[in-house]
Amino acid sequence: MKIIVRCILDKIFTAITWITVFIIIVLLIIILGPILSKGTSAIVFKDTIEFRKMESSIHNRGSETQLAAQITQTASIRQAIYDTIEKFKRGVDTESLTDQARAIYRDFGLQLRYKGLGPQQYTEIRSLSKDIRDRLDTAFASEDKSQIAECLNFVMQYADDPRFKGTSAEAFFKMAIDFKTAVEKIDLAKHYEYVKAVGELEDLLTQLLGPRPGKALPATAMNQFGATRWDLAEKLMDNLLWKEEWVAQKPGQPLVKIRTERAKEFAGTEIEPLFGYIKDNLEKILKPQWRFYWQYFIDNSTPGHYFGGIGPEILGTLLLTLLSMVFVIPLGIISAAYLTECTTDNVVVRIIRMCINSLAGVPSIIFGLFGLAFFVLFLLPFLGLPSKPCILTASLTLSILTLPVMIRASEEAIKAVPLTYKEASLAMGASNFKTFISVTLPAAMPGILTGVILSLSRVAGETAPILFTGAVALGPVPSSIFHSTRTLSYGSYDMAVGDRLAMMVPHNQYGMVATLVILVLCLNTSAIILRSRLFKKLHGH
Amino acid sequence: MNDSQINQVLSPTADVRHQPLVLSYGQGLGNFLSLYIGRSILFLITCTSVLSVLLIFFFIIKESLPFLQKFSLTEFLTNTGWYPQAEKPQFGALALVAGSFYVTITAMVFAVPTGILAAVFLSDIVSFRVQNIVKPVIELLAAIPSVAYGFFAVMVLAPWMQNKAGFNTGVNALNAGIVLAVMALPTIVSVAQDSISAVGRELREASYGLGATRMETIFKVVIPAAHSGIIAAIILGMMRAVGETMVVWMASGNASQIPHPWWDLSQSIRTMTATIAGDMGETAKGSDHYRSLFTIGLFLLIMTLCLNLFSEYFLTQAAKKSGIRK
Repeated sequence: MKIIVRCILDKIFTAITWITVFIIIVLLIIILGPILSKGTSAIVFKDTIEFRKMESSIHNRGSETQLAAQITQTASIRQAIYDTIEKFKRGVDTESLTDQARAIYRDFGLQLRYKGLGPQQYTEIRSLSKDIRDRLDTAFASEDKSQIAECLNFVMQYADDPRFKGTSAEAFFKMAIDFKTAVEKIDLAKHYEYVKAVGELEDLLTQLLGPRPGKALPATAMNQFGATRWDLAEKLMDNLLWKEEWVAQKPGQPLVKIRTERAKEFAGTEIEPLFGYIKDNLEKILKPQWRFYWQYFIDNSTPGHYFGGIGPEILGTLLLTLLSMVFVIPLGIISAAYLTECTTDNVVVRIIRMCINSLAGVPSIIFGLFGLAFFVLFLLPFLGLPSKPCILTASLTLSILTLPVMIRASEEAIKAVPLTYKEASLAMGASNFKTFISVTLPAAMPGILTGVILSLSRVAGETAPILFTGAVALGPVPSSIFHSTRTLSYGSYDMAVGDRLAMMVPHNQYGMVATLVILVLCLNTSAIILRSRLFKKLHGH
Repeated sequence: MNDSQINQVLSPTADVRHQPLVLSYGQGLGNFLSLYIGRSILFLITCTSVLSVLLIFFFIIKESLPFLQKFSLTEFLTNTGWYPQAEKPQFGALALVAGSFYVTITAMVFAVPTGILAAVFLSDIVSFRVQNIVKPVIELLAAIPSVAYGFFAVMVLAPWMQNKAGFNTGVNALNAGIVLAVMALPTIVSVAQDSISAVGRELREASYGLGATRMETIFKVVIPAAHSGIIAAIILGMMRAVGETMVVWMASGNASQIPHPWWDLSQSIRTMTATIAGDMGETAKGSDHYRSLFTIGLFLLIMTLCLNLFSEYFLTQAAKKSGIRK
């Protein structure tokens, strides 16, 4: 082969390795990027007035007078929207109109009875009001405009009748006027379509602006408030303006998504300009503000993970990691000390090392099985405790899982202490034990700490071992180590695939996993920094 | 003075100022006892790891033994039907074992070339300073919790595959394989880099001296010399992929089937680990289904331990070789 070809091949190979490493770094960014960026939106975001209402009612936070002032500011714009819809419904929702007319008739009948009229007069008015009611019914049920006008005119001729003045029958005439104005702009043939469309519109408005003031609050907290975040509000606004449908264009073909303007469903009616009105005034109604929601890390969440933060998850993760550290730190340091200081390389030590290596290689789900079979089903009943998954069993399982990490790190740290330190101490007449405690251990401390931090991050991130031994997706904050707990890791899993409610709040999904990733990465970065410091210190560079 | 005598002199409670320098056993019985009792306590504590391994084996076998007595092992390993809740339950783990193999092999196809190239890059191509920047970045990949990888697979990669790349379903063997490859990368890179760096300078210099280019040196001298370490790296990466639970549970689709045709990675599969994780919540303690999951666990445990022994064998080989060369 010619030299030049070989040189070119060499250069190509070098380029390929550069590209490979570049790809790995890009992969890291691709994986962390969306998680971290979308996770941040759980904490820093534009909130709306609905969010402030929610905070004040669930967490008792924020100034109530300020909130009340804001609500009054927005109330008039909201009311205008509701009024337009109500007016429209008066022309369209004939079923409820018929019901109303019947109710008025009944009321009026009761009123008449206690008025002390003569029997003849009573029957006359009574039958007249019945006639009015029937005419209204006919008008509501009709699709013919001339017939409607005829009926309404019949009703309206009694509007100034003194017999109906000051009675509940006055409502008949109000209904008649409203219906007359409403009907003028409506295509009566599309009657039922209007009813359906206006129902959808009202649902969307409830999602966007919260339940209408004056109506009974829904039972679940998530329905009590409108869009609590501006990004959510914009998404809902888009839903409001555009109707999405999956339509089969030809039989057998895949469905195609078609977006149509919702306003077109209401073409020619008062509702049509309403869409533009809501769009223009959305900021005035919801009053978005930038918000740094640091309470995300301490708040409990209700219902499910819909509102609130991840306080219980963080608490649970901390409890689990700290408790397992209590078990693993002494075990790990003592084992490492024994393996490095007290023995030479013999059969027993080789077996111990092999076991440590095997332990490191056991899949994490096997630790979960073992934790279930040993700690939960055997050890707890053996000790006379109720046999159920709890924080104690989970942290014991995790401590066995992380034991090899701890032993290896401490062993390396102890080995890295220069022999001269020990020799100096021994030469001063200190005993082996004394030397280890007061010379070797302090010198190895940063290295051991690195091991502790690495185990911490491993424990915090593990999910499979605690699936059956103490993690739950939702539950009360644990009051002792004999209760199960929520954790960040299991919570991330559950929010990604298990929880249906969580699908509606992607910021909370990402927020949970981003918190876990940031926690673990911070721990690891500090371990890396600590290790390089130690290296410099012990080797004098 | 040999080692044990020094230890006696410097035993924990010895007050050197008032006692003769060298103690015989008879003179310092207390010291002797405290030294050896102390040591045996330390030894016992150290044996926790051994005890843990034994207990893991004991309890996994104990829970799975009744199942193995009741059902035949051959059926367990050759039947593809996994219908544990059916009226006439079937426990055929072949599809699950195959699923584990599918994702592991896919992961290795992506991870091994990338990992070895990255290891070569770190050990032979760049300066120490670049190495100091790139290495922690790769270590960060190892630090990300597996549930975060699973989250990425199911929330980012799966929708992308389904909507943009035109797969029928986003959660499939390929998705899980790719994410597992990223997870196995750091292990492969760091172990392979250690063994490639351990190949002596002399070998490289001899090769350069004969006129070989860097690529030729790496492929014809360095990698053959470091092959045991690289094999160990691959095995360790495989162990990570086989034993991983969360990613495959979230991203593989959990359909207990062998893809048909066999090379079609765009189909959903189910692995052994995902089956244990997914089914355990629904079983009654002590039922056949419950025990069958422990049997899968036992199978998995034995498999990973064998892989572990292989990797240790290759690592000792690598250590021996570099030892001789030094």
